Amino acid sequence: MIAVRAVMSKAAPLFAVAGLLAIWQIAALALNTDSFPSALDAIRAIPAILTDRGDLINILASLRRMAIGLSLAVLLAIPLGLMMGRSRAVASFFNPLLMVIYPVPKAALMPVIMLWLGVGDVSKTLVIFLGVSLPIIYHSFQGARAVEEKMLWSGAAMGMSATQRMLRIVLPSALPEILTGCRTGLVLALITMVTSEMIARQSGAGNILFNALDMAQYDTVFAMIIIIGAMGIILDAAFEKLRGSLVKWSEPRFDIPLSFS
Amino acid sequence: MNVLPLRPEVENESASGRKAAAAMIEIDHVSQTFQTSGRQSHLAISDISLTIEDGAFVSILGPSGCGKSTLLYIVGGFVNPTEGVAKVKGNAITGPGPDRGPVFQEFALFPWKNVLGNVMYGLRQQGVPRAEAEAQSRRLIEMVGLKGFENFYPKELSGGMKQRVAIARTLAYKPAVLLMDEPFGALDAHTRTRLQNDLLNIWERDRKTVLFVTHSVDEAVFLSDKVVVMTRAPGRIKEIVEIDLPRPRRRAELLLDPRYQKYVVEIEKLIDDTGIAELHP
Amino acid sequence: MNARALSTDVLLGIAPIAMVIALWQALVTFGYAPVSLLPPPGLVFVRLAQQLVSGGFLHEIGATLFRLFAGFSIAVILGVGIGLAAAVNPAVNAVVKPVVRVLAPVPKVALYPALLLLLGFDHASKITLVAADALFPILLSTYYGASMVEQKLIWSAMAAGTPRRQILFKVVLPAAMPSILTGCRIGLVISCIVVFLAEMITSTDGLGHLLVAAARTFQTVDMFVPLITISLLGLILNGLLHGLRTYLLRGFPEV
Repeated sequence: MIAVRAVMSKAAPLFAVAGLLAIWQIAALALNTDSFPSALDAIRAIPAILTDRGDLINILASLRRMAIGLSLAVLLAIPLGLMMGRSRAVASFFNPLLMVIYPVPKAALMPVIMLWLGVGDVSKTLVIFLGVSLPIIYHSFQGARAVEEKMLWSGAAMGMSATQRMLRIVLPSALPEILTGCRTGLVLALITMVTSEMIARQSGAGNILFNALDMAQYDTVFAMIIIIGAMGIILDAAFEKLRGSLVKWSEPRFDIPLSFS
Repeated sequence: MNVLPLRPEVENESASGRKAAAAMIEIDHVSQTFQTSGRQSHLAISDISLTIEDGAFVSILGPSGCGKSTLLYIVGGFVNPTEGVAKVKGNAITGPGPDRGPVFQEFALFPWKNVLGNVMYGLRQQGVPRAEAEAQSRRLIEMVGLKGFENFYPKELSGGMKQRVAIARTLAYKPAVLLMDEPFGALDAHTRTRLQNDLLNIWERDRKTVLFVTHSVDEAVFLSDKVVVMTRAPGRIKEIVEIDLPRPRRRAELLLDPRYQKYVVEIEKLIDDTGIAELHP
Repeated sequence: MNARALSTDVLLGIAPIAMVIALWQALVTFGYAPVSLLPPPGLVFVRLAQQLVSGGFLHEIGATLFRLFAGFSIAVILGVGIGLAAAVNPAVNAVVKPVVRVLAPVPKVALYPALLLLLGFDHASKITLVAADALFPILLSTYYGASMVEQKLIWSAMAAGTPRRQILFKVVLPAAMPSILTGCRIGLVISCIVVFLAEMITSTDGLGHLLVAAARTFQTVDMFVPLITISLLGLILNGLLHGLRTYLLRGFPEV
């Protein structure tokens, strides 16, 4: 009985996907307009995209830009966030700046950045870097702030220097929170990537999407939506597995829930 | 069945003066099994039968994990027993109700309401008009010693004050039974003794039935007419000790009273024996 | 917190921003950046002030705000409603949980073309996109806040005579407020971002559209104006929400 329930809960997302596709199929057939292809039509258009060399290169280029932007953000944002968490001076300096930048959609900076840096990969990667940095900084900051003072005192009594304490106490202790920030960052990276490609149409998945829209290839439009959606789901699931294994020891926190864990 | 509930007309009334009072609570062969994670199950209390008379102050005493809180929750109707039946005034208990008012160790005050709002809650729930409910609540707040704090929010109060509000909130809807779950456990020793005294003073006014869970032997002896000593899990009733000490009880006098001291020693031995008996069956 | 401490905080807050603006000005003055690419801050703020008194610009802000509020409100109503229902009802929970797990990581902006096809190019598609993006953090925060309501609070209310069907509104909802408001704050910021982006991708009016239009004609000053405006709007709305939160949660201990 318990085993059956466990299997059911693991399979539930699959049922959800099937259910959503079914609703889509029924709605499309009911509305019966050209501009709303049925789920099956869209699914049938997927292989055409994935086997098209041009499209595939586009999509992989998107993912590559995303990866680079993410990596840079992780390398720079985590240390900054940690330092802000441990030093009131650093925090009070950067906090107001970040609060001002927060509501500005980083993808909206695309036109400005393109003016400065041209239309190549650099501008798109930069935008992703900027967009992803904020949540990582914020979560690293929160994670570092929450480190128990007594743990650091114990470390100091053991003879650890400030840098050692940062690396060997603050970092591991804040890791669960940092990884939550990275998960948000991952989701944001995907969004920023797609959005910046929709705005500055040169290449990438977002570009394929809107090209298809312009050319009234509605099957392709919806197929691309499924592909991008699938990318989001797969990346998020993969990251969650990674996060789970890295911080097996932590208790779940629900401060800013991203999804059901 | 003799249904005369006793009221304290005479000073220094003794327990033996309370004869056949009505059974307010009947606990009839109650057991409770909990499902823990996976396929494990835990027998918390086993085959408890107990009768509590109207107007009696009864303590349930035992080591941690003996299921005493569980028993209280069953009487409160918050938990349904897996076996057996609990009754109040002859009717089977099917859920919580204003006839059995709880006071919890964690206070459980509504943080979005101030003191007055908390105390008024039960009255408003029962349809008492706002002005009347407010007047009654203010009287109660004064009775528990918090006059002037009506507009404070729980977060602004100390632990002792929060518990006073909790008591006032429960008394407001005039339950026939007070269910108190280690109410002073989260407080420091000094506040605890003050609240014990205050609780007795309040209780003397109308002598409700009280079921009081605690793990403190001297608290149980000081407050109660009867102490029900429970064994370790699975909890059973080890013994019921009648406390024959005069009321009203004053701490300063009682601490020096040899009868009080004998009760404490006797009951502590009972609890100690419980522990040892479990280790060496 | 007394007035003195508050004003010191405000001053400390403004200082770094002032420094950035000074840096910005310095970059322009000392020629590190050509004026065509980076206009001096003074110019941008003057232009902003000019725009604010012109009816046209206010109309654009109005369009953006309308979509933002409409989408946000829908997200709040749906998010809080579904979140509460899922927290207290196992049947709803069983349906909602897997659906959210599947849809949450999907970039909703990818749905935008579909919305355009189905709902047209005007307000409706943008409002729907805003609602879809802001929905999830609000739903999840509500769900977790409601599921973690202290059991003894519910028991106290039941003992006081509250019937089961009223527990949701009288106990669970107020007790979950801190969580719900945190989710709303996130949802609000997301709404600001999404409405702006949607207007950049396709629109005929709104702040996002202004940015794209200015970009096409290489008017750098006019590009900065909408960016700064959305940033200010976000700050103001956040401040308002914070004020509301402080009022609603005045009884709750600091989180």
